[in-house]
Amino acid sequence: MKELVCIVCPRGCTMKIEEKDGEYSVTGNSCKRGENFAKTEMTNPMRTICTTVRTAFDDVPVLPVRVSSDIPKNRIFDVMKEINKTTVTERISRGDKVIENVLGLGVDVIATSDILKG
Amino acid sequence: MLNCDVVVIGGGPAGLAAAISAKKNGAEVALIEREARLGGILKQCIHDGFGLVRFGEKLSGPEYAERFIDEFKKENITALLLTFVTRIVKKEKGFELTVVNTDGVNQIEAKAVVLATGCRERTAKQVSIHGTRPAGVFTAGTAQHYTNLLGQMPTKKCVILGSGDIGLIMARRLTLEGAKVVGVYEVMPTPSGLTRNIHQCLHDYDIPLYLSHTVTKVFGHDRLTAVEISKVDEKLRPIKGTEEIIECDSLILSVGLIPENEIAEELGVRIDSRTKGPVCDGQLMTSVDGVFSCGNALHVNDLVDYVSESGEEAGKNAAAYADRKRSYAEITLGDNISYLVPQRLELGADNSKTTVYFRSRKVLNGCSLSLKINGEEVFRKKYAFLRPPEMERLVLDFSKYELTESSKIEFSIEEGVK
Amino acid sequence: MKIEKANKELKKLYGSRVRAGVKDGAIVVSGELDNWDDIVNACTICVDKKSGMHVVNDIRFTGGEIPKMREPEEEDKSLDGGEPDVLVIGGGISGASILRELSKWDIEAWLVDKESDLAMQASGRNDGEVHPGVDLGKGTLKQHYVLIGNKMYEKVCRELDVPFERFGQYVGFESKWLRPVLELFALQRRMIGVKDTRVISGEELKKREPNLNEDFGVAIYNPSAGCVCPYGLTIAYAENAVENGAKVFLNTVVRSMKTENGKITEVVTNRGTIRPKLVINAAGVFADDIAQMAGDRFYSIHPRRGTNSITDKKAGRLIHCIASVKTLKKNRTHSKGGGVMRTVHGNLLVGPDAVETYEKENYATNRESIDVVFDKQEKTMPKLSQRDIITYFTGVRSPTFEEDFIIEFGHKVKNLIHCAGIQSPGLTTAPAVALDVEKMAVGYLRQSGEFVARNADFNPIRHAVPTLNEMPDEERNEYIKKNPDYGVMICRCEEISKGEIIDALERPIKVPTLDGIKRRVRPGMGRCQGGFCSPLVSKIIAEHEGVDISRVRKASSRSVVTYGKTKEGAENA
Repeated sequence: MKELVCIVCPRGCTMKIEEKDGEYSVTGNSCKRGENFAKTEMTNPMRTICTTVRTAFDDVPVLPVRVSSDIPKNRIFDVMKEINKTTVTERISRGDKVIENVLGLGVDVIATSDILKG
Repeated sequence: MLNCDVVVIGGGPAGLAAAISAKKNGAEVALIEREARLGGILKQCIHDGFGLVRFGEKLSGPEYAERFIDEFKKENITALLLTFVTRIVKKEKGFELTVVNTDGVNQIEAKAVVLATGCRERTAKQVSIHGTRPAGVFTAGTAQHYTNLLGQMPTKKCVILGSGDIGLIMARRLTLEGAKVVGVYEVMPTPSGLTRNIHQCLHDYDIPLYLSHTVTKVFGHDRLTAVEISKVDEKLRPIKGTEEIIECDSLILSVGLIPENEIAEELGVRIDSRTKGPVCDGQLMTSVDGVFSCGNALHVNDLVDYVSESGEEAGKNAAAYADRKRSYAEITLGDNISYLVPQRLELGADNSKTTVYFRSRKVLNGCSLSLKINGEEVFRKKYAFLRPPEMERLVLDFSKYELTESSKIEFSIEEGVK
Repeated sequence: MKIEKANKELKKLYGSRVRAGVKDGAIVVSGELDNWDDIVNACTICVDKKSGMHVVNDIRFTGGEIPKMREPEEEDKSLDGGEPDVLVIGGGISGASILRELSKWDIEAWLVDKESDLAMQASGRNDGEVHPGVDLGKGTLKQHYVLIGNKMYEKVCRELDVPFERFGQYVGFESKWLRPVLELFALQRRMIGVKDTRVISGEELKKREPNLNEDFGVAIYNPSAGCVCPYGLTIAYAENAVENGAKVFLNTVVRSMKTENGKITEVVTNRGTIRPKLVINAAGVFADDIAQMAGDRFYSIHPRRGTNSITDKKAGRLIHCIASVKTLKKNRTHSKGGGVMRTVHGNLLVGPDAVETYEKENYATNRESIDVVFDKQEKTMPKLSQRDIITYFTGVRSPTFEEDFIIEFGHKVKNLIHCAGIQSPGLTTAPAVALDVEKMAVGYLRQSGEFVARNADFNPIRHAVPTLNEMPDEERNEYIKKNPDYGVMICRCEEISKGEIIDALERPIKVPTLDGIKRRVRPGMGRCQGGFCSPLVSKIIAEHEGVDISRVRKASSRSVVTYGKTKEGAENA
């Protein structure tokens, strides 16, 4: 049995996960999302990354970005490396792609602010 | 001279929501923001987790703020950016504000004022950090500003004091940028940030959390070179002989937030010593008629969703504000409640859907919130657990009770569910 | 005669470990002790003011390592071969005021200081009181200069455009029956020159300052007591000196000197060797080290720490004076034990305490100092609360064992003037001392055959950076119309605009650091202590100086604030 704190929402439920023949049963969660989180956490934990990317503009030296959906937890620093190699040279908008399909993970790195638009 | 119905001071999430809601309720609105851009502190909160309650989505701070900014712009609301309020005076009818910006010194007149001035961080000196005064002592928010807005590394190896949410968020953020976070030290026996942040910011990155520890001394003449950590006893006093020196280049502090109420105080608004924000009624009007408060200026929230909610409430009521004689019933707090908003109810107002925000004084497992009116319990709600870092919210109908100025309204939390 | 008595006492206390003797016209105490307080005590026992000699401490301290003087990082030859007429060592209030008075003359006057700004040591870390001199004995240099200096303050501060307030000082006593004694004391004080001394009743005090201790039955009152920003005044003096042709070199440390025939011929610094005609030693806690370098060590400095706290301006509104409490218990410390004071900026300053130390540059604070001061001062002002503290700091005083100033030519070195042993009330006395040192310097230069003419262009008037938040709206409006940067608020707590910060970067002595700006125009001095504004100030400095933000320092070149761009750091990792 494993105990986990759910990070899906601020409620932060403490969940108990029981494994039986490769099947997981979750208790202590308050919603379906919690159960899903617990199950992926046991098999392939996924996380998001929120960070910044360098720009070519003095007024906004860095632009906030995130991955468009969760990536495997153990790839966080690989993706960070990719983001750190990148420089944004256009005045892009919120939601625009900064890196498409980063490291072939099937997710994009997207801008999370319109700050470059002034 | 600019004339309007409602002036909102502060362009963060509370102020934006207040301005939009006041406008939608028919008021002519002006919003005053001292920075060049709207969004307040969310501009630098690039992490996600905002908007789950409101939008059912995990948004980053800028995304959350910009959704409101888009709406604000659509509503065509007057925004005075890079504008600072230097003086505010209550006149016979309404308020006169003196503001400074690049155009000079100007006056604004408004019938009602919404204070959405946010909060500030407690500093090293306010938690009695001693030793030298080198570079490298930052509040978490300052470190966040350098990192996320200016793209500058404030540290390569740091100790974080205080397990407040910004401190936890910065522990992860700095780790992602290649810094080493030696540990997070918390003077209290329980963490002060949200549990999920302990998990996803510390556990995920193998950053240790030390409870009942504090920083007792700072070393280094030019740049910080080390800190001294001590264990504390149950009265939070450092225990002699437990000192440990940790080499690092920074001390980052996340030791609490204080509502900013300098303007409120200038107006003579009564301040609640528990929230450090104004004493308000169910409509979020302060003790000065026509002055409303919301967001982190009212009390420090842990979720921006509730900041926006209180902004909307304050904005709506400011739009509807009319001068009349008011009378109040005070709310008193019993056991285990550290604070509760609103602090009183206005008897002439509609109190059928009053949003109540409260925090417990300590970690409680299995407990219930009880509301007594004149000694008689009229409402009870069970909670599996209550934790001080996690604010609770509920909507109550006070119109059911025949309240008068002498009504005794008392909230308390009872341990152990009956 | 006295020295034998002192030796007897030393023998009784410390056995054969310490003894005193007269050498080269000074009382030299030598031996070995492992406790610093014992060393201070041993030297104090040997003080013999009547002899005209000073005590030199040659006792080896075995209880710890006395730290070496901290040096700046800079190393170049920019001053090599320089031949100023006068070289002032030390950019505290003494050095800066002397430099300004010297700038009235058509001479090459230089000032060097090892720190990144002026007034970084005692002058930047004291309470800023302009003393009435009520606690000083007749016959001391301190008393002589305090009476003159105090009266000069209006003129000096008007000329230098520095805020100054005569708030007045109250020393309160709980025992009403002391009044006759205090009346006698006041009469005696008036007779020795402290003419404003008077006694007022507890009732009168309550009327004037209702937030002081209600139980004060009687108080000594000196309306001439005032306050000034001590580093503000030091910077103003130095700026005016530079405007009048003098030169200030910061980050410049004096390492050694060469003397020939009783004259300093070379002063070796980290920026090359300087050959001044005359040296003025205003080096504060290091004055005896400078004297040593010149081969003219006839006194010793024993450093004494003091910690002050600053409260929020909200608490500042509680009083409008300088106040302290006197109890009948004998106070064994040399300083008057601190007080509560309203500053020119509207905060309260509480302190200082007094603790002997062998570390000349230990500015660390500790909780005990603040507890001790507050415990005492809560009797002065019961509403005082540690909760209102927004910051605290420690300074190190530089007294001699005689506890008086030394303002005289070298004993063995002709072209050296010592301005040493300056401690409280050294800020009050500085304007008066500077005038005397100026006379001594000009007299020396003339005597040694120099032609010294007046500086025909001397202008005593300095204009400070405008303080927008103190202006009436109309005036503030005009300033903003002329320069819109005055309308961009950077520091919300102290209401400081971008325009004021840029002005501070364009002063005659530019110190483009966070602390340099903070000490000139106050962003970061308020209740958030720079939490909100320090990144903004960093950015303004970087833009103005055309450097990356990571090049902006807190103070010295070693006080890095940020380590460079985020993404670059990660790439290298």
